[in-house]
Amino acid sequence: MKLHLGGNLSWYDHQKRAYLEITLVEKISLNALLMQLKIPRAEVAIVSVNDEMITDDDVILCDSDAVRLFPPIGGG
Amino acid sequence: MGYGSTGKLLNIDLTNSSIHIEEIGEEHYRLYPGGKALAAYFLLKNTPPNVDPLGPDNLLVFTTGLLTGAPFSTATRFTVAARSPLSGSYGESEAGGFWGPELKMAGFEAIIVKGKAKSPVYLWVNNGETEIRDAGHLWGRDPDQVQEIVRQELGDKLIRVLQIGLGGENKVRYAGLSHEMRHHNGRCGMGAVMGSKNLKAIAVRGKGRYLDLANDPQQLAELGKTLAKKVKEHPLSWDLQVKGTPGLTEGINAAGMLPTFNFREGSFDDANRLSWGAYEKDLLKGRGSCYACAVRCKREVSISASYDVGDKYGGPEYEAVAGFSSNCGVNDLSAMARANELCNRYVLDTISTSSSIAFAMECFEHGLIAPKDVDGLELRFGNADAMLKMIEMIAYRRGFGNLLAEGARRASKVIGKDSDQFAMQVKGQELPMHDPRGKVGVGLGYAVSETGADHLVAYHDTILSNPDSIYFKGAIPLGITEALPNRELSKKKAVTYALMENWSSFGKVVGLCYFGPAPRSFIQVDQILLAMRAATGWDMNIQDLLRIGERAIVLARVFNLREGFTRQDDMLPNRLFAPLQKGALTGVNISKTDFEQTLTDLYTIKGWDPATTVPTHDRLLTLDIEWAADLLKTVQT
Repeated sequence: MKLHLGGNLSWYDHQKRAYLEITLVEKISLNALLMQLKIPRAEVAIVSVNDEMITDDDVILCDSDAVRLFPPIGGG
Repeated sequence: MGYGSTGKLLNIDLTNSSIHIEEIGEEHYRLYPGGKALAAYFLLKNTPPNVDPLGPDNLLVFTTGLLTGAPFSTATRFTVAARSPLSGSYGESEAGGFWGPELKMAGFEAIIVKGKAKSPVYLWVNNGETEIRDAGHLWGRDPDQVQEIVRQELGDKLIRVLQIGLGGENKVRYAGLSHEMRHHNGRCGMGAVMGSKNLKAIAVRGKGRYLDLANDPQQLAELGKTLAKKVKEHPLSWDLQVKGTPGLTEGINAAGMLPTFNFREGSFDDANRLSWGAYEKDLLKGRGSCYACAVRCKREVSISASYDVGDKYGGPEYEAVAGFSSNCGVNDLSAMARANELCNRYVLDTISTSSSIAFAMECFEHGLIAPKDVDGLELRFGNADAMLKMIEMIAYRRGFGNLLAEGARRASKVIGKDSDQFAMQVKGQELPMHDPRGKVGVGLGYAVSETGADHLVAYHDTILSNPDSIYFKGAIPLGITEALPNRELSKKKAVTYALMENWSSFGKVVGLCYFGPAPRSFIQVDQILLAMRAATGWDMNIQDLLRIGERAIVLARVFNLREGFTRQDDMLPNRLFAPLQKGALTGVNISKTDFEQTLTDLYTIKGWDPATTVPTHDRLLTLDIEWAADLLKTVQT
């Protein structure tokens, strides 16, 4: 799976990566993925799967998906 | 024992070359502890009503904040203020960097400039001594040359040179100031005011220490060490250090709030070309900092591609990325970076410059202006060459650039043909690159900001919409109790907005960067209170800090009311009440009825008459600025 951790969400990756590829051996829900990545759900404001905005935390993801996660976007 | 102030102001009259040092006492400073508060106070007290913004009687005020130069991260900011030539309203612009701390170390809280020099001059403020020097040899030169010449002729490489560029010399109404080629007081046209006074630069060198001004220097020093360690341990400050504001672009695009084609759309097809990944890979060369700041959010860049960009100037922030890419329809990273470089060279505000060009592009595409009107350019969205050419023409005030140098609102009045619908501005100042249709509190800020549209006047709805988020938790000590949806317009939203506006204003008063305090970043509210107490020795609580912020806002509002501004000036461009045409928020608009009702609620919460926005006498009394009531006697209530 192609995964993009936008903004401060990269901080939660142990290597602090913004763009990474992970291998999913089986399908997984968004919530379960976030738990595996140790990213608190409350810090994720925007989820995009294959360029579609997702609002359902139970959406099922597979290895071929491109997932982008973003925190709330403040000013700057 | 000190209270964070040098106690001295520097008054300069350029018409008769006089220099006068004035004392400012502790009681006075406690009400107006620098920055926005002190600047608004001077402008109200010492400028006549209806002063010509580009005339000699307009005051140009440079103020440090109470904490400017304190040895902890993000305590770096200073304010430049005057009646704005872009909006005619109260105008101010903050910058970080090194100049503000240097002025404080040179022994002054503020410099107040009036009059006009007969020929170009610059000021040399050297550790308490001040001199007005000829700047004929500096006029027309680029910022790096000016800095080098000034440092050479004064014999000190550590001198900080705050200067205008060609934009300010030519009185482009959104010209700014810069120092070190990478720290900018961009907004409100303060560079044009400085240029109108024939004042090219202010060179400053100081050898004082902030800790010698502080009540409890040891506690401040300890706080500085604690915060420096915390930067990398906190996700918000870590993000600002590693990615900085260019890291915002993809998320804003995904959320459907990336201004695209002059705010017509909220998503840009080629946003991946402007992504953080592209910026980091092709543009980024390093990270820079401001005085004593461990956050290091500044970007150092260069690129050799379609357009070459050197490493002389600071890298594009998010506002420039969006302004010169999606909002002008340009999908070339190097073109965007080149546009940013040109704005830095000529010292122009990137927001107003890009937005004025986007306005002209839309006029062109609708046939309101033709190639013959714009010096033969095909000024269409996506035409990077034309965009870059137009920046030069604005700076030099050549051809059509002379009209765009007036800003989108004035240009629309000349073009006519309903072109004002494409001028994305409030009070004459162009909108920053955040579409408020996705975060309506930002729209409240654009509307009510006394300076015209400003994205840093408060905090964005998005970071206060989830009660479990690290952002929201940072705001709880301020009195925020309920998370509200991004697009909710309600009395509750008005309450939240008013509180957060006061907090943002407090930062602008005491010299804190927006990227320091919670909820936007890593310094917790109790640490800010600790810093204030340690610096001053004053017995203060959080409400006192919020009142400092509110007082400054009300002074700026009184300034505008005196100049004839009304509630009708607190209104967004009509386009924002129409649906977005593309992206995740397609079809979404702001309800004008709900927006106006929330404004009414907001004025009431602020203690202002909702019909006129005039602060009540009780509110002025509560804020210890009853004297301002005299200035409102001529305002129709």
